[in-house]
Amino acid sequence: MIFLQNAIDAISLGAVYALAALGIGLIFSIMRLINFAHGELIMIGGFTLYGLAGQPYLVMALAAVLAVAVMALGMERIAFRPLRNANPATLLVASFAVSYLVQHVILMIFGSRPMGIDFLPELGGSLEFGGLRLPKLQLIAIVATIALMTSLALFFRYARTGIEMRAAAEDFTMARLVGVRANRVIAVAFVISGVLASVVSLYLVAQTGTVSYKMGVNLVLMAFVASVIGGMGSLVGAALGGFLVGMLSASLQAYLPVDLRAYRDAFVFLAFISFLLWRPQGLLVSHADQERV
Amino acid sequence: MLEVKELHVRYGNITALHGISLNVAKGEVVAVIGPNGAGKSTLLLTIAGVVSARQGDIMFDGASIRGMAPETLAARGIVLVPEGRHIFGSLTVAENIGLGATTRRDRNQVPADIERVLDMFPVLRERYRQRAGKLSGGEQQMLAIARALLARPRLLLLDEPSLGLAPLIVRQVYEVIFELRRQGMTILIVEQSVHRAVAAADRTYVLNSGLVVMSGRSAVLHGTAAFDAAYFGIDEPAGGR
Repeated sequence: MIFLQNAIDAISLGAVYALAALGIGLIFSIMRLINFAHGELIMIGGFTLYGLAGQPYLVMALAAVLAVAVMALGMERIAFRPLRNANPATLLVASFAVSYLVQHVILMIFGSRPMGIDFLPELGGSLEFGGLRLPKLQLIAIVATIALMTSLALFFRYARTGIEMRAAAEDFTMARLVGVRANRVIAVAFVISGVLASVVSLYLVAQTGTVSYKMGVNLVLMAFVASVIGGMGSLVGAALGGFLVGMLSASLQAYLPVDLRAYRDAFVFLAFISFLLWRPQGLLVSHADQERV
Repeated sequence: MLEVKELHVRYGNITALHGISLNVAKGEVVAVIGPNGAGKSTLLLTIAGVVSARQGDIMFDGASIRGMAPETLAARGIVLVPEGRHIFGSLTVAENIGLGATTRRDRNQVPADIERVLDMFPVLRERYRQRAGKLSGGEQQMLAIARALLARPRLLLLDEPSLGLAPLIVRQVYEVIFELRRQGMTILIVEQSVHRAVAAADRTYVLNSGLVVMSGRSAVLHGTAAFDAAYFGIDEPAGGR
């Protein structure tokens, strides 16, 4: 029973990491940008909820999704589009710059202390199933992740824009040569990435009841680790890596001796390093890293 | 239809162009030949908008297209089948062909065009639902041409369509090129292997070291000593790849 309980914790944390990793992986697959500012997208979602505290929850949630999507588009337009042909290292540094800039603007406005906010406190409760305690929020996180991933999978499989994005992820120049509009597919990628980030915000705020200017940082680091484990550029890999990292982290939390639990992340990163020594290319290798036109 | 004027290109580690001029009339098939490193691919990549020119101009239908994005040029009907084919290996044959129609406005005619290219390349019909990466080199070349045809190109740019293919496959590819020529398609074809390209083309340009060293009607040029000298270079030993 305890095991099942822990498994559900592990899966739900994995689901949240998977969403964040997908957001990062999607942008990377299309434009070779590792967007560390993804965490600030999550944070902006949190602060949108904070700003609208007291409104109906649905309004707060929709506003957060919208705000983060717009923020993601803005980042692309202002910071990343001018660097589109720059090498990945330049893009990475630019994403750090955006990340710190957004963090510190929020820090200047709201200060550094986490601020409490009521968002869907009802979800703090649990459902009882024959001795099994199922926290509602975690169930919703799992269901929402599965729903989002299924719709994304269908989008990439059947929608024309989805197919264009897969083509662009594999060979960007060739995709443009068949007429795929670069600005459009990149914008769509950022919007999707923003929507994924905003869902993570909703979960984080509902779970912790607080927002702070650094709320996205740790999560994005884990999500980055997850997407590397999955294989940079592979979306299925990013999702898979997210689940693995989340489950490992939650299991360590559950099974490490109490004295060591504070160092859980150290064990996660130790496992990460060992993994990289074994399989530096990640679990799934993307088709993209071939010679380009 | 296409007029390249005094084109100068220098870009990273690709072969530079030092002032190339050429033109292609509507309905004409023009070959550009020359040894490896002559700048043939650079020329096509520049026309298609992948590489930008430093000087000179490219006119299409009488208007300058220099500096336009590849997707804009594709929408105007300039369609490149690049060297090395660059099919989308992780996508299915069907998706690859469908992507060829990205710029089409007349969506309702696309299914009929897909049927037409599948009739042209029956092997693609057999493998329609398979991942394109699993195709053989020859099949991939056919897929790359099929994908390009779905755009209903007004100017088709073919970069080394016979490169690395078995002779039998090369013949099939050129049969398709002859068929397109009969249909009146305007084609600019770049080749290292001279004879087929020259046979398929109305006119031929010979490129060497980023310059046009010779040009004229294919039938006149072919086989003359001057042509061989121009192609192989005066000082270089013949036959160098």
